[in-house]
Amino acid sequence: MIQKKVCLLGTSGVGKTSLIARYVDGSFSENYLTSVGVAIKKKVVRVDDSDITLIIWDLAGDDKFQPLERAYLRGASGYLMVADGTRGMTLDHVIKMRERYAEQIGSTPCALLLLNKSDLESRWEVDEGRMSGLASDGLTIIKTSAKEGTGVGDAFEQLARRMIQPA
Amino acid sequence: MPEAASPAQSVLEALGFVLFAREESGALRLLGETPAWLGVLWPALAENDGVLPIADASPFFENFLIDAEECWNAGGSGQAKSGPWVEDGSGSEAQLEATALTANGQPLLLLQRLGEEFEAKKNVLQHARETVIAHQRLNSEIQKKEILLHCVADEMTAALANATTSLRLIEMEDNGPRTQLLLGLANRATQEQQALIQRILGVFEDELRGAYGESGLTKTNAHWDTVLRQALDAATPLFAEKGVSLSAADAATSEIRISLDAMQLERVVGNLLENALERTPAGGTVMVRTANEPETLCLQVEDNGAAIAPQICESLLAKWDPANAAGLRLHFCRIVVENCGGEIGCSPLSGGGNRFWIRLPKSSAAA
Repeated sequence: MIQKKVCLLGTSGVGKTSLIARYVDGSFSENYLTSVGVAIKKKVVRVDDSDITLIIWDLAGDDKFQPLERAYLRGASGYLMVADGTRGMTLDHVIKMRERYAEQIGSTPCALLLLNKSDLESRWEVDEGRMSGLASDGLTIIKTSAKEGTGVGDAFEQLARRMIQPA
Repeated sequence: MPEAASPAQSVLEALGFVLFAREESGALRLLGETPAWLGVLWPALAENDGVLPIADASPFFENFLIDAEECWNAGGSGQAKSGPWVEDGSGSEAQLEATALTANGQPLLLLQRLGEEFEAKKNVLQHARETVIAHQRLNSEIQKKEILLHCVADEMTAALANATTSLRLIEMEDNGPRTQLLLGLANRATQEQQALIQRILGVFEDELRGAYGESGLTKTNAHWDTVLRQALDAATPLFAEKGVSLSAADAATSEIRISLDAMQLERVVGNLLENALERTPAGGTVMVRTANEPETLCLQVEDNGAAIAPQICESLLAKWDPANAAGLRLHFCRIVVENCGGEIGCSPLSGGGNRFWIRLPKSSAAA
């Protein structure tokens, strides 16, 4: 079976662990529980008649308290860069991460930008102009809600599909 | 069979550590007995004569062994640390941290079960991160309230100006005593409303003064060159971090003063720079131009980002909808600029990118 390593990147509190919990276990908790270090989950996804095992690396939020270790990205086939739409600066942060880890992430098409907390879209600090700018910069943006499940499966499946496509 | 535990190994085990020796074959052999927690996590360890089948460990551990090998090959006193991770074993999980080192020429791997230490670290991080998030939300709320307040004052002032004009027109007519009495009452009411708006804005300014310090507020006559230089200096690290060039064309503006609070004006310029930075991809350039016009000063900030459609340009600068938090920075610019009699606009550039501009009336007062 094909195995692919996927890393979720983003600063703390954007919902990386919640997105994984929603996708892998179908669960969600309202309480914010911070992550420390790395936890790994697996899920088999069927894409175009192929079963792919996603090895999903839940990396603790990159911040001044616990900066991301570059070695954790080694061997990753795909990235989900996560920002919280209600906190515009989390989008700035993940964009900076993309630049800081450009050597690992490169210009791979297997990197999607997830704007999480779409259930709170009326309170978003990220406007359509900003999103269209990022899209024209080559980023695929998916609005997700770990709380309601919106876009979550689509994000992982879209990434899986890209990862198995020949370069 | 695993080797018998030395006293030192027993101490390590009591502290939640286990020690593996990396053999010539590359195998990791446990030194000493298998502790119960490790036996539960990696049952194959006991079945495999104390040698850890790497395939039974998590992908994290496998990944760390690459760094460990580098460390062992380098020899010396260097160490490689894994950082904490959650090892999900056969129906159980443990929080672990590994350290690769070489002692007496022997490559070793020290594995620690974090347990209470992990929980303590998690609690500290939880508290720290919650505080950071709360602080970010609070700052965002303050900015929204600030804009809302200016919007309300803006709307009230406009409505009041209409009412005052209408009253003056009525006063010019031939009015009876009762109408004159009512006009007097209406005029007093509009004056009271004007005073109320000034009081509200005064309280708000006091709050700003408290937040930013007395020295940060200059009532009027902001010195343009100083404001621009400070805004550029503040933005430079952000631009450098993203790899975007920030260029400012020199202009003869050294004597220009603007009838605006210096701090607010710096925020307006800063907001325009941040807006341009967000739109410009790494490697691009943001150009800042200042034009010294007879009565006004025009600042243009040009980015390299994707061109914004004209209709979106309009909505970016349109009146702020309190139900929609987007575009706060630009809206703040609009409120401040228009309140001092200036103009703001944006348009796509023919060669790609966008130009955001403000035109501000120059102060006639002496410095």
